[in-house]
Amino acid sequence: MYMSIKEIVNTANERQISISELAIEHEMKQNQASREEIFEKMKKNLITMENAVKKSVEGEGVFSLTGLTGGDAVKIAKYREKKRTLSGDSMMAGVQSAIGTNEVNASMGIICAAPTAGASGIIPGVLFSIKDKLRLTHEQMVHFLFTSALFGMVVANRAFIAGARGGCQAEVGSASAMAAAAAVEAAGGTPQQSSEAFAIALGNLLGLVCDPVAGLVEIPCVKRNAIGTANALIAADMALAGITNVISADETIDAMREIGRQMPRELRETGLGGLAGTPTGLAIKKKIYGEDVSNKSLITS
Amino acid sequence: MCKAVNYKSCFDIIGPIMVGPSSSHTAGALAIGNVAYKLFKGLPKKVVVRYYESFAETHKGHGTDYAIISGVLGFAADDPRVPKAIEIAKSKGIDITFIEEKDDSPIGHPNTADVYLEDETHSIRTIGISVGGGIIEVKHIEMDGFSFDLQGTLPVCLAITKRKDFKPIMLHFFAKYNVKVNMAKHFEADGKYLYEFDLDSPLPTAGKEELSHIDDQANIILL
Repeated sequence: MYMSIKEIVNTANERQISISELAIEHEMKQNQASREEIFEKMKKNLITMENAVKKSVEGEGVFSLTGLTGGDAVKIAKYREKKRTLSGDSMMAGVQSAIGTNEVNASMGIICAAPTAGASGIIPGVLFSIKDKLRLTHEQMVHFLFTSALFGMVVANRAFIAGARGGCQAEVGSASAMAAAAAVEAAGGTPQQSSEAFAIALGNLLGLVCDPVAGLVEIPCVKRNAIGTANALIAADMALAGITNVISADETIDAMREIGRQMPRELRETGLGGLAGTPTGLAIKKKIYGEDVSNKSLITS
Repeated sequence: MCKAVNYKSCFDIIGPIMVGPSSSHTAGALAIGNVAYKLFKGLPKKVVVRYYESFAETHKGHGTDYAIISGVLGFAADDPRVPKAIEIAKSKGIDITFIEEKDDSPIGHPNTADVYLEDETHSIRTIGISVGGGIIEVKHIEMDGFSFDLQGTLPVCLAITKRKDFKPIMLHFFAKYNVKVNMAKHFEADGKYLYEFDLDSPLPTAGKEELSHIDDQANIILL
């Protein structure tokens, strides 16, 4: 079990193999399964991601039951057709996939958690943004998921990936860092550069609170998937340009864990503080649940 | 680092494939319900779910209710029937109560659910926590006259039997499938023994099939 990013980078360097290969080896050993079985299982996750993105732009798009979110992936797709995006088409392609995936999630559609459902748009967002530019095969896309998974495992075991434990930094921050590391490998960067991209991406999102309006995975979750995606792409580019960090990836994870511990519970997925606690946020909560739900202690369904 | 590791597989991180919207509150809740289903063995007449902390605050927005009931009904996380689970359970005559507890979690975790199932012949209770990304820990179980706390990291195998010599049989079985047993202990109640085996990795498919044939008289449950 890899408990540090440093261990992953060192092992990959010593054995002269990619991080995705290390992940596949780990998985074969862990599950006593063949390479083909492991690969097929991850391929199913990739197909689920592709299907969610496809679904998000059918017709007018998908909408949640509350109507609070939905249809934005379609807006971005139409906007991209004008070919005048400020941040570039591949960036907006990623943002579209990220938002689309999370719209499907909010509508109780089928998604692949990566590492969570609330942050499920970021890994597909980054992957589908770079796949054309890097001409990634389906096999290479599966490798991308393995690489991101191995980085994510370190975060999950060393800190946490749940908003209720560590705020949104644990979800969108982790997903963004995992995607950045995998994007570097897909682009031909070194394991150390993956580690640098990971540290940049996570470091940029430290302190991000989890403040879902009415406790729903909608506002601000859907848009934060867009930011997690853009942040990952920037972090990957920075690392590929040779930028390094003074604070290592492992220490950044530990900082994330400590920040989560210091974060008040109102800002850890309780739907009480932050955007959820604004007058509009509270009004939405009241509109959805009727009277003040906090006074209600027993509900029989 | 000597701590319990919950995330052992790449698929704990990328995955599960699930019905939205929350991996902790939907997929994780479903997994806790599913533990109750495995312990109960069959459909109950009555379900009582107690929520603590983040679960209590946000269960309605996250579909936690239908997720737990999906688990109790034995549905998988990506089963399209998941959002309809409460209606399906009601149509089977299952009485369901959700309680939002004001107190802190007895386990000290924000996503804690206490699930009680009963019918005319038996009842079970389990307390689980959802630790993120659809992964859970099982912290407490009451069944068949036993009441005990677990460290919680899955997979865990339980065996209830009158046999006092069951531990070596099970250890031999796990060794045969190259599954390391991190901890083995047992409890005694009313002339019966409950053996708990905390496993380091999942049992291969062939092992799962063989598990039910080890001893017809023993109740063996793989969580």
